[in-house]
Amino acid sequence: MHSDSASAEPIRGGSVLRWIRRIHLPLDDPFAIAGLLIYAVFILVAVFADQLATHDPLEILFTQDYQLAADLRPGEDGFVLGTTSLGRDIYSQLVYGSRSALLIGITAAFMVAVIGTVVGLLAGYFRGWTDIVLMRAADIAFGIPFLPFVIVLAAFLEPSIWNVVFAMALILWRDTGRVIRSQVLTLRTRAYIDAARVSGSSDLKIVFRHIAPNILPLSFLYGSIAIGWAILTEAAISFLGFGDPETISWGYMLQDAYASQALSTGGYYWFVPPGICIVLVVVAGFFISRGYEEILFPKLKE
Amino acid sequence: MLWAVATILFLMFRLMPTNPLAAYIDPTFTEEQQQLLMAKFGLDRPLWEQYFIYLKNLLQGELGDSFFYRQPVGERVMELLPNTLVLTFSSLIIAYVFGIIVGAWLAWKRDSVAERAAIPLVLTTRAMPEFWLGMLLLAVFSFTLGWFPAGGTRSPGSEYDGYLALYTSRDFLAHLVLPAMTLAIYSQGLPLLLMRSNMLEVMNEDFVTMARIKGLSNWTVVVRHAARNALLPVMTSFAIAVGYQIQGNVVVETVFSWPGLGRELVNAVSASDYPLAQGAFLMIAVVVVLMNLLADLLYSLLDPRISHA
Amino acid sequence: MGDDILRVNGLKISYAVGDAKVRAVDDATFSIPSGSIVGLVGESGCGKTTVARGLTRVMAKSAIIEGGEAIFDGTDLMKMSEAEMNRLRWRDIAFVPQSAMNSLDPVYRIEHQLNEVLIQRGGHSKSEARQRSEELFDMVGIEPRRLKDYPHQFSGGMRQRVAIALALALNPKLVIADEPVTALDVIVQRQILDTLKDLQEKLGISVILVTHDISVVAYVCDRIVVMYAGQVVESGDTETVLTRPYHPYTMGLYNAFPDLQSSAGLLTPIEGHPPDLRHPPTGCRFAQRCPFAQSRCTTSGDIELADVGGGHYAACLRSGEAATLRGDAAKSETWAAMA
Repeated sequence: MHSDSASAEPIRGGSVLRWIRRIHLPLDDPFAIAGLLIYAVFILVAVFADQLATHDPLEILFTQDYQLAADLRPGEDGFVLGTTSLGRDIYSQLVYGSRSALLIGITAAFMVAVIGTVVGLLAGYFRGWTDIVLMRAADIAFGIPFLPFVIVLAAFLEPSIWNVVFAMALILWRDTGRVIRSQVLTLRTRAYIDAARVSGSSDLKIVFRHIAPNILPLSFLYGSIAIGWAILTEAAISFLGFGDPETISWGYMLQDAYASQALSTGGYYWFVPPGICIVLVVVAGFFISRGYEEILFPKLKE
Repeated sequence: MLWAVATILFLMFRLMPTNPLAAYIDPTFTEEQQQLLMAKFGLDRPLWEQYFIYLKNLLQGELGDSFFYRQPVGERVMELLPNTLVLTFSSLIIAYVFGIIVGAWLAWKRDSVAERAAIPLVLTTRAMPEFWLGMLLLAVFSFTLGWFPAGGTRSPGSEYDGYLALYTSRDFLAHLVLPAMTLAIYSQGLPLLLMRSNMLEVMNEDFVTMARIKGLSNWTVVVRHAARNALLPVMTSFAIAVGYQIQGNVVVETVFSWPGLGRELVNAVSASDYPLAQGAFLMIAVVVVLMNLLADLLYSLLDPRISHA
Repeated sequence: MGDDILRVNGLKISYAVGDAKVRAVDDATFSIPSGSIVGLVGESGCGKTTVARGLTRVMAKSAIIEGGEAIFDGTDLMKMSEAEMNRLRWRDIAFVPQSAMNSLDPVYRIEHQLNEVLIQRGGHSKSEARQRSEELFDMVGIEPRRLKDYPHQFSGGMRQRVAIALALALNPKLVIADEPVTALDVIVQRQILDTLKDLQEKLGISVILVTHDISVVAYVCDRIVVMYAGQVVESGDTETVLTRPYHPYTMGLYNAFPDLQSSAGLLTPIEGHPPDLRHPPTGCRFAQRCPFAQSRCTTSGDIELADVGGGHYAACLRSGEAATLRGDAAKSETWAAMA
C-alpha cells in the first residue's frame, strides 16, 4: 500500500474531472486490456443489435418451403447458428441477449457500488450508532442466502429483469459497504482530514470532497466484480424459469435449450454459444478488476 | 442473526402481492370455504399476531405443512438435507484438495509460464455459470458418451435401507460424479487463488527465510512452514464456502434433478408451496449462519496464537 | 592471520532494481579471528545486513554476488555449490535474526522448531534431541518446560534467547547475529548481550554481530568493522578503534550513540544521508557529510583501506592527521556546521 499512498496525495477539490481521473484505468495490464476489449465488443453488439440480428429473436420462423424452421443445424437454410425447437433464430437471440446482459450488469453494478459506497462512507465517517446499525444490517445481509433470496423475490414479483437487479442490490451492497467502511476508517485518521475539520469544513463537505474521491477506485473495483455477479445471477434465475419470458437473455436461451432436451439430442450449437458469451463478459470483468487489484494493492506485484 | 433472517423471510412471504393460498384453493371453492381455509392457516388474524405465532412455531421446530405433499415441512426438509450435504461436502473436498495443492504449486512456480496461463484459466472457471457447466458435462459425459447417469441419486427401481446404504452404493456414486464435478470445478478457484496469494505472502516471511538459512530441505521449507501457515485462512474459508455452495446448489441440483434442498426450493416456489419454500429457505439460511460461526471457531482452533493465548 | 575463521575479501553484492543495479556491498574486506566477537556496524542501508545474509547465501531473489571471496575454514563460501552450502548451513554457520517474533514459525511449538534442526540437520534421535533442547534452554536461561510453548507466548527478550538457543543447537563454528537486540529495551539488551558473550566465550565460537548501534559493539565486541555506503571504512580492535578512530565517520558514529553502561550527555547526529548507491560518488563516499573533507577526497579515486598500525585499518586520506581531527570531532559545533 505504501507506494500507492505516496503517489496518491489526497485529492481535494471536487470537480467531476478530478473524480474521473481518480478512476485510473489499468492500461498497463494485458489482461485488463483484453477485458476492456471484450466489453467494447459486447457494448457495440448490444448497441447495434437491430442491425446485427438477422431475425426477430422471438419470431417463429419458417423455411422457404413453409415448414416450421425448428431444430435446424447451424448453416442450414441460412440460419447461422441454427434454430430452436420452436423455430427461433439462435444467432439473433444471442445478439439480443447481449443487450439484457449489459443492461442488467451495468445497472446492478451501479446500484451495488452506489449503495455500498454510501453505506460504507456513512458508517465509517460517522461511526457510533450509524455504524452499528449499518454494519448489523450488513451482517444480516451476509446471513441471507443470496440466490434463494433472489429466486423467491423474482418469483413473487412480476417476472422482469428489473426485479433481479433490485433483489441483487438489496443483498450485494454488503461486501462493498464493509470494505469501504474500513478504508474510510483509515482515511479518517489522516492529517488532512483533521485539518479540514479544524478549518471548519462541514461533515458533508469532508465526506464528499476529501474522503469519497479517495475511495472511488475501491467502489469501482467492487462495481466491476458486481457486473459479473449480476449477469451470472440473472442467467441462473432465467434458467430456473423465473425470468421474464418476453426478454431474450442468455440465461433464457439456456433454459429453453435445457427444457427442450437439447442436451440429449446433441444440440451443442444451441446451448454452447450463450454460455460462452456469459463466460466472456464475466471474465472480462474479472480481468479488469484484477488489474484494479494490482493498482490498489501494489504489494502483490513486488 | 437467524431471528433477523426469519423475520425478513416472514415479511417476504406475507407481504407478497399473491395470495399465499393460491395453490391450495381450488377455483371451485366458495367464498365461505376460502374463509374457512384462511382461518385454518391463521391468515385471517392481524399481521403481528401471525408473526408471533410464526416465531413460536419456529422455536418449536414447527414449520407447517407442505401444501403439495400434505406432509410436515420439517420432515420433508430433513429428508432432503442429507442429499444436499453429501453433494456439497464431496464437491468441496475435491475442490479444496485440488485448489490447495495447485495454489501452493503455482506460488512456488511464480512467474513461470504455467502460472501465467493458470490464473486466467482459473478466473474463467469462476466466470462460468454453474448450471451451464453442468449442462456441458451432462451433454458430453452422459448423453453423448453414456459414461454416467443423467440425473437423480439412484437408478430407477433400486431401493436402499437408509442413507448409509444409499451413499455407499456404486449406483449412488455414479450419480454423484457429474454434479460433484460441476460444483468442484466451479469451487476450486477460491481455495486455489487464496492459497496462492497466501503462499506468496508467507514466502516473504522471516521464518521462511530462516528455515532456508537453517539448511532445511525444500520440502520442509515450502510445505511444513510456508504452506502450513498459508493454509490457515484457506481452511477457514472452507466453512464459508460450504455456506456459499449450499446457495449455489440450487441451480446444479436442478440441472441434475438432484433431490436436495435447492431443487426443492425452486419447485416449491414454482408451485407456490409457501410453507415448503419457506422451510427450505430457512434450512439453507441455518446452514449458512452455522458455517459462518464454524469458520470463526475453526480459525481459533487452528491458529495457536488464538487457541494458546 | 592463520587462525581466522572467516576472511572476506573484496566482496561485491548487488540488487537488481528494475533495469538498474544497486551495488549494496562494494569491495568489503574484513576478517573474523577464531573465537572472537566482531561487530559489523553502520547506518541502515550501509550493506551490513547484506553482507551477513550474503555469507549464508540465502538472499532476496534480486541479489547477485558479483565478486570477491569469503574464505570460511579454508573454503570459499561464494564458490560452493548450493548442495555443499546447504550441508554447511546451521551446522557450521548459524544465524540469530533481528526479530525472533517473525523468524519463529508461529504455528509450531518451540520444541518442534528445535527438533527440526536437531533431527533433520543434526542427525539426532528423538530422545537425544529432547535432551539437547533442554540443555540449550538451560544454557540461555529459560526453563525447559517452556519448550512446549508457542513463540507468541514468550516476551521479546525471551524470544531472542530462544533464537540464540536455536543458533547454538548444532555447535556451529560461526554465529551471525543480525541486530539481535535492536527491538529490545536497554536493560534486556544488556542481559541478552551478556548471555551471548558468556556463551561465546564458554563455547569458543566466533560471532559476527551486525548492528547500527556502536554502543552495543563497545559493550561486547573484540573487534569492530565499520561500514559506510557498502564499503568498509575502518576496522580493528574495538578498544583501539573507538578510542583512537582514524576515519571521521567512526568519530561521528561514536558521538551519535549513548553508551550502554552510562547515559552520555548530548548526542551529536551526523547530518545528511548516505549517498544514493545507484549513482555512488567518486572518491570517498563519506566526503559529502564529512566536516574534514577536502577537494582531493572526491577527486582522488577509490580510497583503499590502509594499515594505520597494529591490525587497525582505515580508509581516509587524512588518517595522518587523525589526532587533530579527533579533537575537532569531539566538538558538536564541528558537526553542526554541516547541517
